[in-house]
Amino acid sequence: MSAKARARRTNFLLDVTLFVICILLLTPLILLIANGFKTPQEMLVWPPTLFPKDPTLENFHKVFTETPLLQWMLNSFLFALLSTVAIVATSALAGYIVGKFPFRAINIIFILFLATAIIPFEVYMIPLYFQVKALGLLNSVGGLLVGYLVMSFGIFLIRQNVIASIPDELLEAARIDGAGELWIFWYVVLPLLRGPLAALAVLAFFQAWTAFAWPIIVMTRKKSFTIEVGLANFQSAYTVDLSLLSAASAAVMVPSVLAFVLLRRNFVEGIAASGMKE
Amino acid sequence: MATVEIKELHKSFGDMEILHGISFTIPDGAFVALVGPSGCGKSTILRLIAGLEEITSGEIYIGDIIINDVEPKNRNIAMVFQNYALYPHLTVAQNMGFSLKLLKKSKAEIDRAVQHTAEILGVNKLLHRLPKQLSGGQRQRVAMGRAIVRKPQVFLFDEPLSNLDAKLRVQMRAELKALHRRLATTTVYVTHDQIEAMTMADIVVVMRDGNVEQVGRPLELYDKPVNQFVAGFIGSPAMGFLPATTKVGSSEMVLSDGQVLSKPTCVALDGDYTIGLRPEHIRLGGDGASFKATIEASEQTGSETLLLARLADQEITILLRERFDTPIGDVHAFVIDPTAVQVFDSKTGARIET
Ligand SMILES: Nc1ncnc2c1ncn2[C@@H]1O[C@H](COP(=O)(O)OP(=O)(O)OP(=O)(O)O)[C@@H](O)[C@H]1O
Ligand SMILES: [Mg+2]
Repeated sequence: MSAKARARRTNFLLDVTLFVICILLLTPLILLIANGFKTPQEMLVWPPTLFPKDPTLENFHKVFTETPLLQWMLNSFLFALLSTVAIVATSALAGYIVGKFPFRAINIIFILFLATAIIPFEVYMIPLYFQVKALGLLNSVGGLLVGYLVMSFGIFLIRQNVIASIPDELLEAARIDGAGELWIFWYVVLPLLRGPLAALAVLAFFQAWTAFAWPIIVMTRKKSFTIEVGLANFQSAYTVDLSLLSAASAAVMVPSVLAFVLLRRNFVEGIAASGMKE
Repeated sequence: MATVEIKELHKSFGDMEILHGISFTIPDGAFVALVGPSGCGKSTILRLIAGLEEITSGEIYIGDIIINDVEPKNRNIAMVFQNYALYPHLTVAQNMGFSLKLLKKSKAEIDRAVQHTAEILGVNKLLHRLPKQLSGGQRQRVAMGRAIVRKPQVFLFDEPLSNLDAKLRVQMRAELKALHRRLATTTVYVTHDQIEAMTMADIVVVMRDGNVEQVGRPLELYDKPVNQFVAGFIGSPAMGFLPATTKVGSSEMVLSDGQVLSKPTCVALDGDYTIGLRPEHIRLGGDGASFKATIEASEQTGSETLLLARLADQEITILLRERFDTPIGDVHAFVIDPTAVQVFDSKTGARIET
């Protein structure tokens, strides 16, 4: 077999493998969306049908009228947006400072930042809950945000980018040119960090959008649920209304998919930068 | 424009003292080159003048003002960095107008100044490009433009040409010199290339290990180096050094292998010395006061011949302004004008006036 033919065969096998994996990943999603359009009877058919025989909008209608789904999405969106803004701002500032002003005290603070990354959120979630409660912030976006203003990984990511891509001479040139430190940060440093900051923003947004444990303990009133908490609510102790849950989940996916399509590049960058994602 | 005066400048990083009391004066409008081997503290001096580092002790004056505690932006200096330090996200025009914008000059005024400077430097066709769309030489020009545009009192250059290829470097050298003639701004130019220093500077400051070895005009350093270090550093190819002994009353300097050279003039030399021979002062010669050396390597450039030869167990370089084809290992006779031989104290390295 010639080298070319062999390469073609390898490529073909790779394509087939990836295609199969892709189908495996997509099937549950397709099934979920399909379930949203099924009648309760068809829901129980075995094997499950991939395309509903008798599609209905009843489930969606019910979800939107009987639960505050839109409100939940709005809550989640507001929470995710504010968290993103806060994380981008704190990471940019702190990452720049620990990257470019390596005094001993600052290095120690940076190590403390990093140390927080190895303590799981669940460990201090409960004490944090009591503090939030004492502050009277339960059931408010403010309370939700408390755990999501700073991201130690974000600080680390920006610090690495600052060190790798902003030479000292650039800042020194600006100082000689007469720029103040804030001016330098705003007009020289931030523009140069646009790429990593966008990647971080996507990461931060989805971290908040998919947050579950913290919102479920902070948000106790049905109207103030985030979408993740709201979805879990379909599943009560005794019953699961599968068709309603499917319809709600399918509706919730719309903004995520939309965001992914629009921000695909940043998204990939963000995941590549973090080198981790379940 | 202004004089720059440096007095007893010390600089330490932590416990390490890098500069051990530097003093020299740069006259108004002069082009001064700081040269010396890598790590001797050239960039550090420049950064102290710019205010990018704290002065440990000593004083720096620009004009009559002591600037130790003046902010970099208020020193009225401009610096060109080795890696150019252009703002990657700004166009050439924005890069050049950056400092004027900070001075809150009007847009029309900035445009005019940038346009004018760009014409001087021949980059007026590139004003809308980003730095990454420029060649190395063009970036170099833009970096200079950024410095020139604000009409500073002092220019500071830190090895600005070292990232360019050899041909472009020669061209930029001439352009920089012409620019200095035109603007007559006091300039401090750091380089480790002594040819750059010799060809461009009015005054050269030779440094070693955080000390100034000598300050002088280029040819003064070549003809009258204060010591063996300066003699070896200035001049290319470098001067060769040989141990030699002599006695009062003798007219000869005896090399370690017994060969003799005529004593330069009449000074009462007595004892052990190091003599220095400039490669370009040695000529081929058959008779008279000649010495014999073994050829170890030879390079022909067409117009010149560069020989590496062994004399009295030392390697010396010989530069002949002619073609000379010789097999390696041959022994040839050479002559040198006794007045061109430099004599150094063998212990301190100080040059002895002959
Ligand atoms: N920020 C710093 N902290 C500690 N040591 C430093 C610092 N900056 C420079 N040095 C030391 O000071 C000495 C002089 O450095 P400098 O950069 O002035 O040398 P240079 O003459 O410019 O050399 P080169 O020709 O290689 O650029 C070096 O030994 C260097 O290691
Ligand atoms: Mg240097």
